[in-house]
Amino acid sequence: MNSPTFNAWKLVSLSPLPSWALVFLALGLLLGVALAAWGVRREPSRGRRVLLWALRVGAGVAALFFLLEPGIRHLQVARMKNRVAVLVDRSASMGFPSEPGGPTRAAEVATFLEKASPALAGLQDRFTVEMYGFDPELAPITPASLAKEPPRAGSTDLLAALRAAAGAGQGARKLSGVLLFSDGADNTELKAGVVGRARAALADLGVPVSTFTVGQEALKDLAIEGLKVDDFAFVRNSLTVEAEIHGRGFRGKEIPVVLSQEGKTVASKTVRLETNDDVKPVSFTFTPDQTGRFVYTVTVPTFPDEAVTDNNSRSFTLKVIRDRVRVLLVVGRPSWDERYLRGLLKQDANVDLISFYILRTLSDDPGVVNERELSLIPFPMEEIFDTKLDTFDVVIFQNFGHADPSLSIAEYERNLERYIHNGGAFVMIGGDSVLGEGRATMPTLMEALPVAAAGPANVEPFTARLTPEGLRHPVTAIGSGASSTEAAWGELPPIPGANLTYARPGATVLLEHPHLTANGKNAPLVAVWDYGRGRALVMATDASWYWAFAAHRDGSPNRAYDRFWGNALRWLVRDPDLTTLKVTADPPSVEPGRPVAVVVQARSADYQPAQDAQVRVELFSVATQKPVAVQTGATGPDGVVRLEFAPPDPGPYKLLATAKKGETDLGKGEDAVAVRAVGPELSDASVRPELMEQIAKVTGGKAYKLPQDGLPDMPLLDPPVVEVGRAKDQPLWDRWYYLVALIGLLGAEWFARRRFGYV
Amino acid sequence: MSARRLTRRNLLLGSAALAPLLAGRAHAFGEKNRFIPAVAKHGGRWDSRLSGLRRIAWELQRRTSVEVVPDARPFALSSPDLFEYPFLYFGGDGGFPPLNDAEVANLRRYLTYGGFMLADANDGSDGDGFDASFRREMARVLPQSPLAEVPSGHVVFKSFFLLDAAPGRLLNKPQMMAANLGKRAAVLYTQNDVAGAWSRNESGDYEFDVSPGGEPQRELAVRLGINVCMYALCLDYKDDAVHLQLILNKRR
Repeated sequence: MNSPTFNAWKLVSLSPLPSWALVFLALGLLLGVALAAWGVRREPSRGRRVLLWALRVGAGVAALFFLLEPGIRHLQVARMKNRVAVLVDRSASMGFPSEPGGPTRAAEVATFLEKASPALAGLQDRFTVEMYGFDPELAPITPASLAKEPPRAGSTDLLAALRAAAGAGQGARKLSGVLLFSDGADNTELKAGVVGRARAALADLGVPVSTFTVGQEALKDLAIEGLKVDDFAFVRNSLTVEAEIHGRGFRGKEIPVVLSQEGKTVASKTVRLETNDDVKPVSFTFTPDQTGRFVYTVTVPTFPDEAVTDNNSRSFTLKVIRDRVRVLLVVGRPSWDERYLRGLLKQDANVDLISFYILRTLSDDPGVVNERELSLIPFPMEEIFDTKLDTFDVVIFQNFGHADPSLSIAEYERNLERYIHNGGAFVMIGGDSVLGEGRATMPTLMEALPVAAAGPANVEPFTARLTPEGLRHPVTAIGSGASSTEAAWGELPPIPGANLTYARPGATVLLEHPHLTANGKNAPLVAVWDYGRGRALVMATDASWYWAFAAHRDGSPNRAYDRFWGNALRWLVRDPDLTTLKVTADPPSVEPGRPVAVVVQARSADYQPAQDAQVRVELFSVATQKPVAVQTGATGPDGVVRLEFAPPDPGPYKLLATAKKGETDLGKGEDAVAVRAVGPELSDASVRPELMEQIAKVTGGKAYKLPQDGLPDMPLLDPPVVEVGRAKDQPLWDRWYYLVALIGLLGAEWFARRRFGYV
Repeated sequence: MSARRLTRRNLLLGSAALAPLLAGRAHAFGEKNRFIPAVAKHGGRWDSRLSGLRRIAWELQRRTSVEVVPDARPFALSSPDLFEYPFLYFGGDGGFPPLNDAEVANLRRYLTYGGFMLADANDGSDGDGFDASFRREMARVLPQSPLAEVPSGHVVFKSFFLLDAAPGRLLNKPQMMAANLGKRAAVLYTQNDVAGAWSRNESGDYEFDVSPGGEPQRELAVRLGINVCMYALCLDYKDDAVHLQLILNKRR
């Protein structure tokens, strides 16, 4: 009786009564059966009792049948065609050979898929088979394209690919299963294995992932992995670089590991690999002695039969900065000028102050019979002016000039002059013992200073005057702009006295005496210059403390003194923010095949942004000691230009920049950049079958290894069944014999009861 | 507190000792950069130890490399000129009336921006007289920095001489008190009349006897004065690491 269009049926109730009414009536029937049983409980004959119970139960069931009105519903249904996704890893590691001397891993997958094509086609009656490569973005592939196009992706992200495949079916056909082809060398979310969130994410996919691991684990390879180093380090502070040496097939071998800084060996160690697949940590501790950015490289030897040779060295850039500016303050005698400078330097968290004061000279008589009553220590001249001189960033002489043999530094003057010439920073603060006063002339040291003594000091109070150069120089820029700086200096109180000096050729006078002259020019109060690779500053008075203390006499706080000395220290130690040409590699480490970019910020001598400055940057290979490329450009209104070099060969490079505006030289600057030989993808040639097995296990799939003879029987979710057409109900209860049976049962019970004497 | 007798010999010695200092002043470079104690004028007896201050300046010149002007320059506490003299002596014999608001504000600014004050109870009072008045005013000037006892390891006890106590003309309290601003003791206060032990009369004799320790105690008071001046000039220099081991060895 079924219509030919119906292909399924099910039993249903056709009763028009609501469910609650049906439940109520059913309970009434049960009560009737129970009362019948209760009524015959004293019947001595077990047979009669059972007969009466059976007849009542039979009548109850028949009544229930009529209540529920059962029927058959004929249906027209169809089965959905779900998707099966074939995902093939297109990361660069799939380009490694699947076995020594064999085809690449990608080629092996292509061969298998070609071979499995008929079996995959056989799935088409129930599933739509979709084939994607992932890098990790999904892109359609064919076995032919797999064999033709080499894998290139810089990372392997299996989970992202699985998510993308699962997500693609949302709102459309659902996914019944995934066939995942990879070497398992995940270097993103599943790098640590199927644990934690990654495990939950895999389980949430709700689809069995059958994995096909490609590649053998027995490749011979030596790799530098797990390089751990901070982005920056402090000069003269020890630093540790940690790396892991991963060796496969090097059991029992001693491997030398070398850390070098731009071609110069910094440290080396040897590790012994104990097993055929061994990872040995190695750490190098060294102390950088220069500030700046440098390229360091960790290297292990390359063996002829290695699967990958590019992962035998790994470069990184390290920015070496000052931790604190190490200042040596040498004071000729305690004074208020010393007291306020010390107070300032001690409270500056960026300054590590080492100070020596001459508290007593040969002519002083402390009035003690035993030196132990004094807290004085010997003046360690040799230590500070010879042995440890180079450890100081800045040396300050504050009215320090003694002719006594025990305190004279005549023997160390040349050391100090060389210290400045070789990149040190020196400050001479005036007073009655230096700069033409006192008996100690220190001629060799004076060669390195921007001023020379010109006669006796003038002790008349005066207000220091800012020169045009001082108006814009970072040392005297104590305001937020030129006018603010000028106003700030104008507000400072007069100071009592200055040494009479004149500026040497090449010196920059920042502050000067308003009317005291030497050689026909106003006498300098603060002058600076570059001497060799170093810098020197002279403050020709011992009364700058008036700017620190007397400046507060009228009630308003004044930070001019703090700002001046803070600026001076930053300028002296060549704070990068105060250089005229700032060169920054962007970024400092470049992945293989990426361009090298550099940002150059040019400022003019007055430290204003230099617009339209002509910048020239040379990319200089540290390995070959030769320039590789040159880029030029002009700065914008902000004094900044960004230049880019075509991707160079891997290795360490220097970016050497010069700039000019018209005929004016804006100085030079440099930075370092490391172009990596291999990215994270190629640094490890290993295959991770255990990861592939875990993925299959967590998702309910199965794990296989290539090669396989054909497509195995994988778990796939059955496509769901849905009604797609009409339904027709056919009643079952409206037959005459069901009514006869009910009446017969009720009549038989009535007859039996009457017969047995219950009615 | 009997004054010593003036003798011709003492007068000649005193004059001879001051001669080099006066000669030095004539050629000084920036005299104001030298050590010159300022003296606080207040409503009580503030000027009874001026000779003592001149004397300690002289001792500082004689015993150390510090260049001084052996003078004591009085200033009203409201005077802006105080800001050219970072060392201020605040002494008194007996109580004194409250400072006015301008004096309190100026003194607070003076101490806050780097000035140093040595306070000295010339009357050796404790709970009355100068002591009561000074504590009352300090509570107004630096309410956030109450006076606290100076620990024996403080740098003032090793800034030039190695000392264990803080005696003056008297020895009422073996230690001084300090009002600290940050790590710096902006005020040191002694109740032992330390300037009384330094004071000499015009003929060069010490003005007051020192008790209970006599002349050795006077020498210690002079050394304390020099240490206080050195602390004002050098701050915590002797707490630098390079000094610690040597000073520790000397103290053993």
